[in-house]
Amino acid sequence: MSELIMILVGGVKIGSIYALAALGIVVIHKATRVVNFAQGGLVLLGAYGAYVFIVEMRWPYWMAYVVIPAIVGCVAVLIEIVVLRRMRRGDLFPVVIATIFLGIALSEGYRLSTRAEILSVPSFVSTMPFVIGSVVISPEQLWVTFGALLAAAAGIAIFQHGRVGRSMRAMASNVRGAQLCGYSIDRVYGMTWFLGGALAGYAGVFTAPVRGVSSELAIATVAAAFVAAVIGGFDSLIGAVAGGLILGVSETLAAAYISSAMKSAISFLLLFVVLAIRPQGLFAPKKVRSV
Amino acid sequence: MRESKISKCASLKRLFAASLLAAITVGGTFIANSARAEDGVTDNEILIGALGPLTGATAFVGGPARDGLQLGFEKINAQGGINGRKIKFIFEQAFSPAESVAAAKKLVEDHKVFVLILASGSTGAAAAADYVRASGIPTYNIVGGTPIIRNPFAKNVFHGAITDASKSAESLAELVKDKLKAPRSVGVLAGTYAFPQAELKGVQAHLKGIADKIDLEQFDQGARDYTSQLLAFKKQDAGAVVMLGSFSEAGFAIKQASEMGLSNLVWVLAGTAATDGIIPIISPNIPRDVWSYSFTPFLPGQKAPTMDEFNALWTKRYGAPPAGRPNLYDMIGYGSAFVLAQALNKTGPNLTRDRLIAVWSTLQDAKPSNLGGIDVTYPESFSETDHQGNKVRGQAHIVNGAWVVVPNTNH
Repeated sequence: MSELIMILVGGVKIGSIYALAALGIVVIHKATRVVNFAQGGLVLLGAYGAYVFIVEMRWPYWMAYVVIPAIVGCVAVLIEIVVLRRMRRGDLFPVVIATIFLGIALSEGYRLSTRAEILSVPSFVSTMPFVIGSVVISPEQLWVTFGALLAAAAGIAIFQHGRVGRSMRAMASNVRGAQLCGYSIDRVYGMTWFLGGALAGYAGVFTAPVRGVSSELAIATVAAAFVAAVIGGFDSLIGAVAGGLILGVSETLAAAYISSAMKSAISFLLLFVVLAIRPQGLFAPKKVRSV
Repeated sequence: MRESKISKCASLKRLFAASLLAAITVGGTFIANSARAEDGVTDNEILIGALGPLTGATAFVGGPARDGLQLGFEKINAQGGINGRKIKFIFEQAFSPAESVAAAKKLVEDHKVFVLILASGSTGAAAAADYVRASGIPTYNIVGGTPIIRNPFAKNVFHGAITDASKSAESLAELVKDKLKAPRSVGVLAGTYAFPQAELKGVQAHLKGIADKIDLEQFDQGARDYTSQLLAFKKQDAGAVVMLGSFSEAGFAIKQASEMGLSNLVWVLAGTAATDGIIPIISPNIPRDVWSYSFTPFLPGQKAPTMDEFNALWTKRYGAPPAGRPNLYDMIGYGSAFVLAQALNKTGPNLTRDRLIAVWSTLQDAKPSNLGGIDVTYPESFSETDHQGNKVRGQAHIVNGAWVVVPNTNH
């Protein structure tokens, strides 16, 4: 039993990071209908920012949680304004393709600029474990899990209840109608990308001590985040979080009780099952009626 | 009369066309034969090609090996080159097995290199093995431990600093025997990709006579989470873990083990993990017993005049080193450049592939200082039946935050 608890704790930790990254993808998709494949690159930017902030500049750790997401959010807005805004006026397909290449550009740009194989970031909290019965849990596991879920909850609260979120929901519901109500597409899209980028930044800061900073982080994150978003539903914020947690726990359980090779395979298996049974996602909101 | 003139004209035209065709055929054959006289060698240049990963999970091998080779060749060229010829060095990126084969073919068939260097680790070496054996091109496998490139034996394939995986496996088992008291319960944590799998069989075989219990767990390349594997070792009450993977994989496994209360384990790491890149990952709680073997007389972060000299040379050429550089593969690339240069030098000015292979097979005690380099690799010796250049492995241990080669532990 203690082994199962420790496996679940480990899975939830990984899943929380997936959830945060997936939430950023879903936020942007809900408001703009764009699937942002550059989310992994933004997470990498956040992780690298954490390294520079904490290791190179030796600034207070807590500030990384405040400053880095804001910086990554600004970068995301810049991407929207400089690259995607013009393309958006036509078809959505080129916009999605552009995000794929932006993601590659971010990870390759990182790789060419640092030349280091992997950069290590110390943990925010002590790594010495504490024992409850026969269950061993580390403070880092708890911090990453609760911190990431708290950031996700804040992102959902902003989207669901904030004034800014109202404009995003209006755009998500009906672009023309939202414009008629006085919302500016450019402004709302900019704020959406900022929120999505900030969530990626948080994911990066949380992931840096757990996985290190390397160019592979981008593709690993976007693949997992995408699967989590599909599992939860691209139109559901809660679904994105749940999808991330389900994916993280499934991977860890599969590695523990089937084989380590199943860890990668389980994500694709889950994807196929969800697409086959409920393609809109497990937590997709019910349609009241179709018009 | 007129008809006769026309037919004479037509005959002359036909004769001219036939002569032109013959001339083109003969000339083309001559040119082709001349080009095949010896690919990659001109009066002024020897063309050497290498392949290895510059991206992906094993980029820590290919990029540094390339830089080390470049550093060595530049030193040799600065001293006048090889018998009046300068070395021209080209590098092809190759991470996956398919890319490795394609890069080998491109270097040999398109670029027409004189010598091919495999700086790709076991994955690329294994993939290119059949091709290089069939092509007959002198091939220098400098960082691949896989037995696939070694068996069957090929007279054109030579192996450098990194020894056969089976020998390395023996060293790992010896470390377990040396550092862990009986009864020995040992966990083996192995990557599912080429190099760890190449060592795994040998490790399991050698551990059978040493360990009372062996538990094998595996992980995918680039893994960062080892919860399930470490729990299995905890359940088994393992006293030591033999880790077959890269330094980053080993680093995160060790870090996570500490977080899970497994702080008294003896860690025995494959040689690929004995690099200072692991130190920041496992700091600040570096376990007392982290051991490995070394293919070189020093390790990158070790305090020694030789390493100071090498680091200064590297920094002068490439600038301020990023974290984890120069690493083991920078050193191996550098040392290998001098070994190859000595083989080329000994072959003499009449440079052909067959002569190079014959001479290389008799090379003894080839080390960088023989040609003015820094001895960051062990001397390499070859024979007609034994093409493994380096046969030495020393014990390596983390002391005061850096890997050091423990003196008098070579075998």
